[in-house]
Amino acid sequence: MPSITSLNLTHFHLLLNHVPTIGSVAALGLFIIAFIRRDEGLKLVGLEVLFLIALLTFPAFFTGIAAFSKLRGQPGISEAAIRLHEDVALYGFTWMEFAGFIGWVALWQARRRGRAARGLLNTSFVLLIVAFAVMARAANLGGDIRHPEIGGAAVTIAQAQFLGSKISDVMVNSPWAWPASETVHFLGLSLSFGVLLAINLRILGAMKRVPFAEVHRLLPWGMLGFGLNLITGILFVVGQPKQYIDSAPFYWKVVFLMIAGANFLYLTVFRKAWSDTRGVWTASGADKAMAYVSMFAWLATLYCGRMLPFIGHSF
Amino acid sequence: MGFLTWLESLPLSVWVHESPSVWAQPTVMTLHTMGMGVLVGASWVLDLRLLGISRSIPLSAFRWVFRAVAISLVVNIVTGVLLFMARASLWGTAFPFLLKILLVFASAATLLPLRSYVLQTPDDQVEVSSKARRLAMISIAAWAAAITAGRLLAYTVAG
Repeated sequence: MPSITSLNLTHFHLLLNHVPTIGSVAALGLFIIAFIRRDEGLKLVGLEVLFLIALLTFPAFFTGIAAFSKLRGQPGISEAAIRLHEDVALYGFTWMEFAGFIGWVALWQARRRGRAARGLLNTSFVLLIVAFAVMARAANLGGDIRHPEIGGAAVTIAQAQFLGSKISDVMVNSPWAWPASETVHFLGLSLSFGVLLAINLRILGAMKRVPFAEVHRLLPWGMLGFGLNLITGILFVVGQPKQYIDSAPFYWKVVFLMIAGANFLYLTVFRKAWSDTRGVWTASGADKAMAYVSMFAWLATLYCGRMLPFIGHSF
Repeated sequence: MGFLTWLESLPLSVWVHESPSVWAQPTVMTLHTMGMGVLVGASWVLDLRLLGISRSIPLSAFRWVFRAVAISLVVNIVTGVLLFMARASLWGTAFPFLLKILLVFASAATLLPLRSYVLQTPDDQVEVSSKARRLAMISIAAWAAAITAGRLLAYTVAG
């Protein structure tokens, strides 16, 4: 069986890099139509699309780092142009995750109150516009890497000036940055695990008399753990990209993370279970299968991460 | 140090430490991390409930926490002992390791009184006693400290 690392991530980057920009246009369009029509349901759809875009922005970013290592040193490729593209993409990624996070809070709350809170909705809308603008700039700079003929100005910034280089410098040279991030990563994973265990066990039949709405209250704590791990995870990837490129367990980890993230969205908006306020709802076979997939995806994400030094080549 | 060196020289210890197989040290370590996630995560969920999150869930609905904790505790004791045996003379004489073990004992010690509190509290009682709340706060902090100490072992002792 060919290894997952035989995939050419540069191709994936050329595919996925459209998600943050074109996806944002789609989500913004949905929001605008929903605002004009005052359609509460469509606003929620917009928020769900935003969450999925924020999720897919991670592989879009990571495959870019992998593409960098492939293109580096090829004739006609300016390393400074790539680093500038990466920096702007990193800013865009940060804005996008921020928009996705606020959007998720709006979705979570909408499940509880029946409609999305206007303040949260407007905030995620504005954040998404910013994210889109920064991502469009990143996309433009990305085009300059391969297409100097369309008139990109030569980039003349010293390597040490780039944000990516600065993060990498701190992560590699500081005696505490890496260990501290690892520690936070472990705390975050435990928090996420506990919350998802509680929710999935409810679906599988533990806490039977408890309305799903009550376990749903725990979700933001799971999101907190997830957020801590996203931040520290990005610090690892930007800090030491070589540890993750061409690493089969890391590629799989990203795959499982996408499954787990999509499942997290489903648990947030889960309609069937939600309508039950008296604790009489019991899960169907499909719901139970979903709960098992969720727990498997989280365990698999952890497995791939912990195995990075052994079946990958991280230290 | 005779005992620690003897422990380290057992075939099982040598296998965990030196075998190139993924089933040796890598798998034992990964199971230890999975057990940690379930053990600490489940404990924290109960602690959050005791401190006021999802207050309307009756405490008796949290009995599953103790089963999850019991299973993961067994997994982590077994894998922890294996990891200790593999480098017994290193861990047995390292202060940061002993500190970690102390923190794990302190955290785990909160589980028994919390369990009897959960089992004794009637379903219609919403108020949580201040003693149980204090235990929950200790549990959150002590597990966090134990994870921190454990994670930093890779940099302080085994680095």
